[in-house]
Amino acid sequence: ENVQVHRKNAVEVVDPREEEDFDRELRALLQESLDSRKLELRARPTLNMMIPMNIFEGSTKDTRAMEGESGEETMDDEGSGSGGGSTKVRVKVLVKKGSKQQTKQMYIPKECSLIQSTKQKEAEELEE
Amino acid sequence: MAGIGNLSFEETGDDEGFEYGKGSFVEHACRYCGIHNPACVARCNIPSCRKWFCNSRGHTSGSHIVNHLVRAKHKEVCLHKDSPLGETILECYNCGCRNVFLLGFISAKTDSVVVLLCREPCLNVNALKDMNWDLSQWCPLIDDRCFLPWLVKVPSEQEQLRACHISAQQINKVEELWKTNPDASLEDLEKPGVDDEPQPVSLKYEDAYQYQNVFAPLIKLEADYDKAMKESQTKENVTIRWDIGLNKKRVAYFVFPKEDNELRLVPGDELRLRYSGDASHPAWQSVGHVIKLTAQEEVALELRASQGVPVDLTHGFQVDFVWKSTSFDRMQGAMKTFAVDETSVSGYIYHHLLGHEVELQVVRNTLPRRFGAPGLPELNVSQVFAVKTVLQKPISLIQGPPGTGKTVTSAAIVYHMAKQGQGQVLVCAPSNVAVDQLAEKISSTGLKVVRLCAKSREAVSSPVEHLTLHYQVRHLDTSEKSELHKLQQLKDEQGELSSNDEKKFKALKRATEREILQNADVICCTCVGAGDPRLSNFRFRQVLIDESTQATEPECLIPLVLGAKQVVLVGDHCQLGPVIMCKKAARAGLAQSLFERLVLLGLKPIRLQVQYRMHPSLSEFPSNNFYEGTLQNGVTVNERQTSGIDFPWPVPTRPMFFYVQMGQEEISASGTSYLNRTEASNVEKIVTTFLRSGVIPSQIGVITPYEGQRAYIVNYMSRNGSLRQQLYKEIEVASVDSFQGREKDYIILSCVRSNEHQGIGFLNDPRRLNVALTRARYGIVILGNPKVLSKQPLWNGLLTHYKEHECLVEGPLNNLKQSMVQFQKPKKVYN
Ligand SMILES: [Zn+2]
Ligand SMILES: [Zn+2]
Ligand SMILES: [Zn+2]
Repeated sequence: ENVQVHRKNAVEVVDPREEEDFDRELRALLQESLDSRKLELRARPTLNMMIPMNIFEGSTKDTRAMEGESGEETMDDEGSGSGGGSTKVRVKVLVKKGSKQQTKQMYIPKECSLIQSTKQKEAEELEE
Repeated sequence: MAGIGNLSFEETGDDEGFEYGKGSFVEHACRYCGIHNPACVARCNIPSCRKWFCNSRGHTSGSHIVNHLVRAKHKEVCLHKDSPLGETILECYNCGCRNVFLLGFISAKTDSVVVLLCREPCLNVNALKDMNWDLSQWCPLIDDRCFLPWLVKVPSEQEQLRACHISAQQINKVEELWKTNPDASLEDLEKPGVDDEPQPVSLKYEDAYQYQNVFAPLIKLEADYDKAMKESQTKENVTIRWDIGLNKKRVAYFVFPKEDNELRLVPGDELRLRYSGDASHPAWQSVGHVIKLTAQEEVALELRASQGVPVDLTHGFQVDFVWKSTSFDRMQGAMKTFAVDETSVSGYIYHHLLGHEVELQVVRNTLPRRFGAPGLPELNVSQVFAVKTVLQKPISLIQGPPGTGKTVTSAAIVYHMAKQGQGQVLVCAPSNVAVDQLAEKISSTGLKVVRLCAKSREAVSSPVEHLTLHYQVRHLDTSEKSELHKLQQLKDEQGELSSNDEKKFKALKRATEREILQNADVICCTCVGAGDPRLSNFRFRQVLIDESTQATEPECLIPLVLGAKQVVLVGDHCQLGPVIMCKKAARAGLAQSLFERLVLLGLKPIRLQVQYRMHPSLSEFPSNNFYEGTLQNGVTVNERQTSGIDFPWPVPTRPMFFYVQMGQEEISASGTSYLNRTEASNVEKIVTTFLRSGVIPSQIGVITPYEGQRAYIVNYMSRNGSLRQQLYKEIEVASVDSFQGREKDYIILSCVRSNEHQGIGFLNDPRRLNVALTRARYGIVILGNPKVLSKQPLWNGLLTHYKEHECLVEGPLNNLKQSMVQFQKPKKVYN
């Protein structure tokens, strides 16, 4: 179909006016979200952010040992999409189902700042 | 649990037979482009929406899911069950906030553990710093207008090429379409009709069927828009404060944030309160009515059922708007009655409303000797003329400019109509406030008045409670023997009755209601209220509608089709008209009132000409520019002198000035409104000066055309006002539109718009300017940018007027100086 041809040739250019308009709305939404929370004059929420110990069940306290066991530092072999062949690190995502805590696994690119700091700290700790 | 690694093989398996972009083949296909790789899609979690979108950008600046969230102003997302995290609603680990625009990941300092946390307030809780979390690297969920690609994968290039290529314009169009038809697909964009404008209103109609054919689709459009807008306003994580009302019913207090300037809750609105349940509480929900809105912008919701309310809980509730079609149904019903029932209105009125030539008819009535009425102030010449003329005509229009005593005149007319013995008089207005005011005035003439309220507003406090039907039913016969009274008491004590008793109670109540209504001289209700089933067997030959220029035609028709033979429409077409939310319907003419059309058809309104509100200096400009200079002052300068008030008026005999502001306008947080910080801070200074000089808060009104500025001023004054906070809280800050029909001793008008390149928006409407300028009794201060405003001819005139009277000033409030700012040449045409 000629549509296909058309698509292949389509240059991925974004209309600058659309971009500006979109950015404006996005910023407004962000600001509005922040404002709506700030305006709540209520006291700061209480924290319930303890990391449950059972996360590490079956492993020693040394997280590096756990990493070794499961060998999560796998190569991303997808070749396309976002990662572009980067190395990914497995992390545990802590979520709440009702009032119960659960963990789920997820892979994050090694370059992600989220991982960087943990890695750095671990390195520092190793040196101590 | 599946990781990304597992999912990557599902990429492009069996696509055969799947048409991209056709929507429903795979439930979780992106509604824009059809991509349906579970790792690449997420579902909008707004109950009325629940559509899936992918995380690719295509030809747009943001990814599809982010595009949808931004355009639809939806903020919650759920991941696919086959995605790395499984079917998960993204929410703050700590507080449960689901607004994806606030969420981001943080990781533990030492472990490979991450959680989602909201930026405000949880990320800023001090105690978190001492815990095992690293706050320095909060990683927002939406980055570069795209979801984090490792949470929701970006589809491969191949997948994107095979997908339907949707443009930004198409996205905007389809989002617009979804507001009224959530199931619409991209093909529907191509269908004829979607972009078509509805048939516009005309001046004359062949018959009532043609009339109905024009107005019914417009009402439908407005109803659809209203429904879609209100039902999309679900609020999550609402915190409740519980209370019990005097009637022993549960009342929930909470803040219902106004995200847009579109939805305004009003007493009587129905909301559903929900709790999704937890380990120790079952899921729960109940519907209730808004009974009031507190000064702190809190909503009081009276719940219908008191049983099983989880009053030990305060957090994590959801609130939905329950949309009612009642008012729209009644408009449609009235148009139908107008068409099919020839007794609905007299022949004369029928033809006149449709714009047919009809021979002038005189109503033969013996006129009263004096036209005033007991309990009312003496009428002036133009008011007497109005009463006298109206009583002799089958249809008349009374134009009441600001402060000219419309209500008194209307009450006098109703008094004389009621005394003619042609049956009960029906008195309506579009707003409850106006109906209450009229009911009170009419009642002071000694007539028996019943104020009929919507059932949903019975719990809403009213200044004329003793006149309301529900109050009178309760207090008609309170003798111990009365069966109705006994049952009512039982119901109050127990909350409900046995089904047998309930039946008996209802029948007795209906009979009592009927008796009270039949004994009334005058029945007062809103225009929509005239369609109440409790009035369905009543006929009203004489109908007066106040504020009729603020009602749509079909709304006005509701009270008319109950047998009208003599109709009086009161209003002012030089002030603001009805509010129409749907732009298409407004463009087609739904915003034009019946009063206006009758004026266009050649029916000349009788104008009330003496104003009793404004200091003569304040009425001068409005009189000359909106009422051809006909407005006379019924108050003298002395009566509006403010002794003992020390306020820096530039010309002490003229309590008015235009305060030149050069601060920039900004887009408000909602993205749909404007604010101006400099003006807000000067509004606070003016308010403080008034308060210091001895003016009390209830005398001051701050008005502005923009909701964004209104909210900002309220907030700014309560934070930055140098006097007691409570004083600022008591000051009414409102939109120009909501101030129509009201007055204050002192008015501060903040114009907001200050932008050399764009128009002045709302301020362009002369009717809005008229309303803004005519609210003050003793004094007015206008804040605005003359450079920008002077481009519009009417504003140019206003600025020139202020300048000529040395009332155009700048500088600090304690040292105001004449401003030499140059005006721009006005554009010739009115816009
Ligand atoms: Zn949505
Ligand atoms: Zn897509
Ligand atoms: Zn939070």
